[in-house]
Formats: sequence, structure tokens, C-alpha cells
Amino acid sequence: MAPDEGVPAQAAQAPQGGLRIRRISATPGHSLELGPDGAPAPRTGPEYAKLIDISRCIGCKGCEVACKEWNELGVEPTENFGSMQSHRDLSPDTWLLMRFNEIEIDDDLQWLIKKDACLHCEEPGCLYACPAPGAIVQYENGIVDFNQEQCIGCQLCVSGCPFDIPRFNPESKKVYKCNMCVDRVEAGLEPACVKTCPTNAISWGTKEDMQALAAKKVAGLQARGLEHATLYDPAGVGGTHMMYVVPHGDQLDEYDLPADPTAAPGALAALGGLRQLGASALGLGLLATALHYLGFGPQEPETESVGTDATGTGTVTAGGGTVAAPGNDSGGTEG
Amino acid sequence: MSGSGDVQRFTFAERVTHWVAGLSFVFLLFTGLAFSHPRLFWITSLVGGGSTARVLHPWMGVLFTGSMVVMLVMWAREMGIGEGDRAWLKAVKSYAVHDKDNVPPAGKYNAGQKLFFWAMALLGIAYIVTGVPMWLPGGALGLGPFYGGVVNGMRLVHYLATVGGGLLLIVHVYLGTIAYPGTLRGMLHGSVTGAWAKFHHPLWQKDQSGP
Repeated sequence: MAPDEGVPAQAAQAPQGGLRIRRISATPGHSLELGPDGAPAPRTGPEYAKLIDISRCIGCKGCEVACKEWNELGVEPTENFGSMQSHRDLSPDTWLLMRFNEIEIDDDLQWLIKKDACLHCEEPGCLYACPAPGAIVQYENGIVDFNQEQCIGCQLCVSGCPFDIPRFNPESKKVYKCNMCVDRVEAGLEPACVKTCPTNAISWGTKEDMQALAAKKVAGLQARGLEHATLYDPAGVGGTHMMYVVPHGDQLDEYDLPADPTAAPGALAALGGLRQLGASALGLGLLATALHYLGFGPQEPETESVGTDATGTGTVTAGGGTVAAPGNDSGGTEG
Repeated sequence: MSGSGDVQRFTFAERVTHWVAGLSFVFLLFTGLAFSHPRLFWITSLVGGGSTARVLHPWMGVLFTGSMVVMLVMWAREMGIGEGDRAWLKAVKSYAVHDKDNVPPAGKYNAGQKLFFWAMALLGIAYIVTGVPMWLPGGALGLGPFYGGVVNGMRLVHYLATVGGGLLLIVHVYLGTIAYPGTLRGMLHGSVTGAWAKFHHPLWQKDQSGP
């Protein structure tokens, strides 16, 4: 059985599982080109995933603290608004938020917790939507990372994300989100939240191992009577690299998990094709204009134009001021 | 610059408004193209980089929209399309090949100019309707966040409108400069020569009580 904490195994794999780029935003041959040219680079190393077993979470929020600590994110005052939740929402400085929802299921109070952070989609809507070359990259290990130096602050990633994760900082005019502690992963370590979790509610390993582990956990929960227990690894975004074992799989709404998220590439794919046509149309427009000028030349009244007009063509044509058609330019057009 | 036979064509206010619209539109077109295609992203370096382009683009849009509104107020009446314009449009092929004898005489604006005006007004509406949600995707208008399909679809419409506006701009600049010498000075200095007016806009020229 794959251990919950597979650190030694990953450490051995890390050198191959590094940061080769799989997809990169707004780069010809990548991202927005969703056609054959846009196929991601093939994987040469392991694909990692984080598995959140919601049934084992005790709501301690140690992962929130670990996230802030490792990523050196600014402290934001907490607020008591009648919930165990520390903050109301994610922010440019809060990349991970444990969302709490108290509801009754079958006359029993249930405390639904969702670890709200980037899911690191295999088909990242944010990356597809990004117009800034290199501002969003997906490494072959599955991590989707924002590169703030290249970010232009357009926030199209915010609209492109089906999970409402990226947060815009109006001061720096950049967008931020969980980077899966990419610097730790590169060094063969697990993300900070995984490391700190006291109940092993968060597991880390290859995507394959995590799927297998999830299957066992789901089976265990179902055996305990939670018949709707399920793995949340939505196909609409090609699967995610943060997955959830959800005890009440029929209550995804209550966990604030979209039932059928998609990377919405339809309009973007259309845009990818149309912008080639559009750029061509503009180029042809310029060309047609140039050909028109060469074919028909300038048209102006023959008197008073000489000497008064900047182009100073000094054209002299016969009486009516008409200009000969192309192929018949003996009529005295500009020669 | 003005000679004895010159005719006043555009007031100072008209010229300022036109150039505010024109320059802001060129800025919008080029930065927009940069955002639309990775191979054109380098254009942002001409205006100070991607972030600066992104910050300025919507504000230039506000400027363009404002000038468009002023132009609508100033020119909407003059741009009304009448019988003569329909006749002119039927002869647009002759106009395009400079077969002037078969083109009905135009007033202050010919039908092509009027259609250009109204097309830009319509495109302006498309730009603003699709542009504002992209500007403030966080839902600053109180409509909630704009997600996925909505903004991506708006991006598509915004882009198509850009291509349309770009094509119109090419024709507009061509006709206003090298195709018809003597036209540009009307928008720069306000006046055109009497000969130019008689040649391009004879009905309007007749109405001018020149010296």
C-alpha cells in the first residue's frame, strides 16, 4: 500500500520530476492554440497530486498557517463572523482557506470542510485565458504556477478559473494563488500544508498513487455507511492535481465544489482560430489599400492642388478631374 | 495655410474630438492586437510594457467612448442617411474605381463617410459592453464575478469588433490621406480648398457662401 506520507519515494524521483514546462501561456504552439499545435509537451517524469481526505480533517487550520509561513505571505486579521472559518475569502496573501459549512444531513449536524486553494487542473482554464507570454506555466509534474514578473494584471485568469481561485492585488496589479509549494516539490519535499497536517488528512504522491489511495479511502467510507463518498477529480478540467475524498459526494454544492467545472475552452478555441483570420484580414486590408493606390492613384482636383498640398503631386489631368482606370493610365495620372 | 478660395470644414472642437477619438482608437487597436495574439505581444513594449498597456487600455477606451459620444452629439444630424445617399451607395463601385462621373454628388459627407460614422458608433457600443466586464472581472459593477464562458465569449466579440474597426480604420486613413490629397488639412487646420470641396462634396460646397 502506498504510504500516506510518501516523502522518501518522491525524494528519489525528484530529479526527474522537475520543472520541465508542459504548457505555457500565450506562447505560439502552446496554451491558447488548443489545436494539434497546442498539445502539451509529453511528460517525462512523474505527475504529482495532493489528496485531501475531508473525512480526516479536524479543522485545525494548521495548513493555513504552514502555507503563510512557507510562502512568506502577509498576515491578515481574522474575523469572527459566526463560523470557525478564519477569513471570509481567499486573497492575494491568503492562498489557502479552510471553508466551513454547517448543515444538517439526515437530521445530523454535519461540519463540511473544504480546503479552498488552487486545484492545479490538468486543463488549466487560467492558463488558456492568459494573454501574457509566460505568465502562467504548467510544469510536467502537474503544478500550475503564476509568474508575477510576466503577469500584466489583466485578470482574465480570474474569469478563466472555474473554481474562483486567483486573487488580484490592486496595488501590485498582479494575480496570486497557491503554487503547490513548487520550490519544495522541486527539492523533493512535499508541500507545506501536507507536511504540517496532524491527522494525515492531506497526502502527497504521484497522481496514480493518490488515485489508488483515494479508491481505498472511498471504499472505507462507503463501508462505514457513507454511501455517497466519492473522489473529486473532475473530468471537465482533465482531472486535478489537488483531489478531494468527499464523504458526502451528493452534497458537492454544500462543499462549494462545482459539480461539472470546465476550462471553458470553447470560446477561447474559437478565438485561437479567429485571431489568425483576423490578423490576416487586417494584413489583407493593408495590402488591398496599397494595391488600390498603385492601381488608381490619388484623386484630387487638378487646380489649386499644386503647391498647396503636402503630397505635392502636381498632377495635371484633363478637364473633368477624372483619373484613368488601371491598365489605362495614359491619361496623365501620377507618373 | 488658408488661401483665398478656402472653405471652413471642421471647427476646432470637431478637430480636437476627432483626434482624441482617432489617437485613442489607434492605441486601443494596437494594444488590443498585442493582447490577442502572442506573436503581437511585443507591441506592448512600445507603450511601456504589458502591465502599462493593460492599465492604459481601458482608460483609453473611456476616452474613446467619451469622444464618440461627443461626436454623436455633434454630427448625428449631419450623418443622417437620405435619398441621395442611397443613390450614392448604389454607385459605390464607380466611386471605388474613381469613375467620378457616375457617382451622384455628395453633400458635406458622402454616404460612405456616414456609414463609417455609424459603424464606428455601433462598434463603440460593442467595445464598451464587452470591455467593461473584462476590465473589472471581479464584479465591481455588483453583478458578481464574471466567469469562464461569459468573459471568454465577450473576448471573442470584442476581438471581432476590433478586426472590424481595424479594417474600417485602414480605409478611413487611406481615403483621408494619400487617396484624396487635400483632405487631411481639413481635419488638421479646419479648412479645405474650394476646389477640393467642389470636387469631393459639390452639394456642400454650393451651400458655402465663400468670398
